[in-house]
Amino acid sequence: MIEKSNKRAVIVGLFVLVGLSFLVAGILMVGNLHDTFQPKIKIVSLFPDVSGLKKGSNIWFSGVKVGVVSGLKFYGSSQVAVDLNIENKVQQYIRQDAKVKLSTDGLIGNKILIIYGGTGAYPEVVAGDTLEVEKTFTNEDMINMLQANNENLLEITTNFKTMSTKLAAGEGTIGKLLNDNELYDNLSATTHALHKTVDATASSLNKASAQAQQLLASLNTFSAGLNKKGTLAHDLVSDTLVFNSVKSTARQLQQIADTARVMVATLQTASRNPKSALGVLLYDESTGANMKATLKNLESSSLKLDEDLEAVQHNFLLRRYFKKKAKAQE
Amino acid sequence: MNKSQQAPIIDSEATVIRIEGLRKSFGTLDVLKGVDLTVLKGENVAVLGKSGSGKSVLIKIMVALLQPDAGTVIILDQNVHDLRGKALDALRLRVGFSFQSSALYDSMSIYQNLAFPLSINKPKMTRKEVDFTVEETLDAVGLKSKMLQMPADLSGGQRKRIGIARTLILKPEIMLYDEPTAGLDPVTCAEINALINQVQEQYKTSSVIITHDLTCAKSTCNRVAMLIEGTFLKIGTFDAVFQTEDAQIHDFYEYNFIQ
Amino acid sequence: MKDNQEPSAVFSNSLDAYFIGVFRGFHFFLRFFKSVFTRPFHTREIIHQGYEIGLKSLSLISLTGFVIGIVFTKQSRPSLEDFGAVSWLPSLMGIAIIKALGPLVTAIICAGKVGSSIGAELGSMQVTEQIDAMEVSAVNPYKYLVVTRVIATTLSVPILSMYCSFVGLTGAYFNVHASENTGLRVFIQNAFSGISFLDIYTSIAKTVVYGFTIGMVGAFKGYHATQGTRGVGKAANEAVVLAMFLIFLEEILIVQVSNWFRNF
Repeated sequence: MIEKSNKRAVIVGLFVLVGLSFLVAGILMVGNLHDTFQPKIKIVSLFPDVSGLKKGSNIWFSGVKVGVVSGLKFYGSSQVAVDLNIENKVQQYIRQDAKVKLSTDGLIGNKILIIYGGTGAYPEVVAGDTLEVEKTFTNEDMINMLQANNENLLEITTNFKTMSTKLAAGEGTIGKLLNDNELYDNLSATTHALHKTVDATASSLNKASAQAQQLLASLNTFSAGLNKKGTLAHDLVSDTLVFNSVKSTARQLQQIADTARVMVATLQTASRNPKSALGVLLYDESTGANMKATLKNLESSSLKLDEDLEAVQHNFLLRRYFKKKAKAQE
Repeated sequence: MNKSQQAPIIDSEATVIRIEGLRKSFGTLDVLKGVDLTVLKGENVAVLGKSGSGKSVLIKIMVALLQPDAGTVIILDQNVHDLRGKALDALRLRVGFSFQSSALYDSMSIYQNLAFPLSINKPKMTRKEVDFTVEETLDAVGLKSKMLQMPADLSGGQRKRIGIARTLILKPEIMLYDEPTAGLDPVTCAEINALINQVQEQYKTSSVIITHDLTCAKSTCNRVAMLIEGTFLKIGTFDAVFQTEDAQIHDFYEYNFIQ
Repeated sequence: MKDNQEPSAVFSNSLDAYFIGVFRGFHFFLRFFKSVFTRPFHTREIIHQGYEIGLKSLSLISLTGFVIGIVFTKQSRPSLEDFGAVSWLPSLMGIAIIKALGPLVTAIICAGKVGSSIGAELGSMQVTEQIDAMEVSAVNPYKYLVVTRVIATTLSVPILSMYCSFVGLTGAYFNVHASENTGLRVFIQNAFSGISFLDIYTSIAKTVVYGFTIGMVGAFKGYHATQGTRGVGKAANEAVVLAMFLIFLEEILIVQVSNWFRNF
């Protein structure tokens, strides 16, 4: 009898233990199953670089967590195919032209994927779709590009400066060309047309310089903010390399702005004076062509600068500043 | 003095304890191998045996502290091991059990030790009645003066008496003593033996006394039972049991008195 | 006699003994719920045990809670300074102390102090047959010894834990005030900014479970003590070890369960 009851005790004890283990394991796992029970669809995106994104990283859409990264695979020679597990219930909101980009959760948080954009013109995503990836600018990318841009701009404006100084001084072959009436008549109409072009260019340059100035002011304020010891941004940027880079950018931008202003002034005087404008244009046919090209370059570069500025505004480091500024303007 | 001849209060018609075919083993060790015993009303029976012969197991089975593997224990016409909960408690109130180690509650004073079973089992008693009963019982064991001391302050003999008093306070009909004289000097032993006799007369109890002490058995018991290797070899009056040629009983007898 | 040794073991003797221990523990646990709602309630003994357990742990809890408040604040400051976020310190301490440290520290101290004392007390009562003595005098020892103590720990540990959190936050306040000159009102506001009612309920639920565990494990180990005085020491020791193990296990489980509620 004692043996029988002992046996029973052993078996009941075993069952209790197994039951408890299941209970514990169940409780610990159900938290994760919570998501597992949600029906999911899988879509794919190809990234050139995932910057440390991991399996299980969150995916946000309009700031709401809608899924997790379920896998990372190398694809082709240098790409990474990222599998995105998206909850079914948000499928209808994500369109096929939506884009995916890398971001961070908070200032220093984990890497996350952000799905954004998308228009009603496209159908909703279905399993297996590929979403386009938008290249996001890292800090370094941005500063590198800004630097290259600056160098270009500087070179262009230096050329202009030399040119306009010469024009203002009226030296070289300009005098000779001035005496050629036939040419004057021929080009009179052209000049008129060019006058307009120059005006347009000038205003465009004006705009560019104003923007440069604005950026400069922003950077000044920002760097002043950076100088305030103890702020988070200060610490982040007290990395002298980045800071110096930003500083030199600012200095160069200042120069650009100055040069551009002088140049525009000169250009304007020159264009008001048909003779000197003629001089510019008649100085050399190739110069005229050069100038035209230069102007075009300048325009495109100012456009690029615009874009850069836009990018700067979206960069997470400076975003807060710009937001603050926008608020202040309101 | 041999007590077994004088039996003024034994009612030979009424059986209070009847044990039949009791078996108990622990793992592979068979401790009791079919034990039968009958105790009459008003009778003191000694269970004699060597250490480890299963005497304590027997007495613990009798109060359902242990369950037997086979056999029945009928106390006051109730099968002890069929009882549960309230019914078992009711029977236990009628059976006193004095532990070998006295088992006094060391966190309580002597007064609290005695009042504790009363306060739990007879919650309707007033404070005054409890006080009175405690004093009366302590008086019976001759230790009224120790009422406010702690068990740790008492000697072994005194602790034993308090242990007996604690069971007496519930006015039991049956007393079970587990080695009442173990570890005591001869003088104290004699005092305890006298107390056991006094209890028998004063409280009109029937008793089972587990002991290996022949003096105790001789002076307190009407009958003795020799427990050897899990069975009763012989049951009868003290003289009847020991006037035998059985080697084991003889050895036990010799050893006890030479010691 | 030797023959029946073989079939008596289901697995091996030691494994069997382990499972029998689990069975006994389970039985012991169920018995609590069977006994707790029936008369007699031994209210006076519950109060007495509550006093023994609660009030006598108070000084130790006070000291430990206070020291932990100060030390954690001190240790957390440098990492927050790196972000220039020292002003988050009160909020961080509020979360850390109320949600985790207060309950856990209290539970561990009580497991060590109360659990071992229950284990040793009941263990010595068991080996000196005092528990049997209660049983034969028709007192239910389980109700009188176990139920009262388990109820007492279940009630006192939550109270001690709240007190510990309070003392810990006081320590944190002293440290924050000394370093950052933060006012009491600001400190309180910040400390509770990260705490929701769910957190407080969870904390209380946790400590109720811890208290129950400490009482139950201590009583179980004591109640089943064997082998004389050596068994008493073993019971006290095992009570502490098992109680701490279970407390950490429960901590994980309760945090997990409370996170489900957080999602609603």
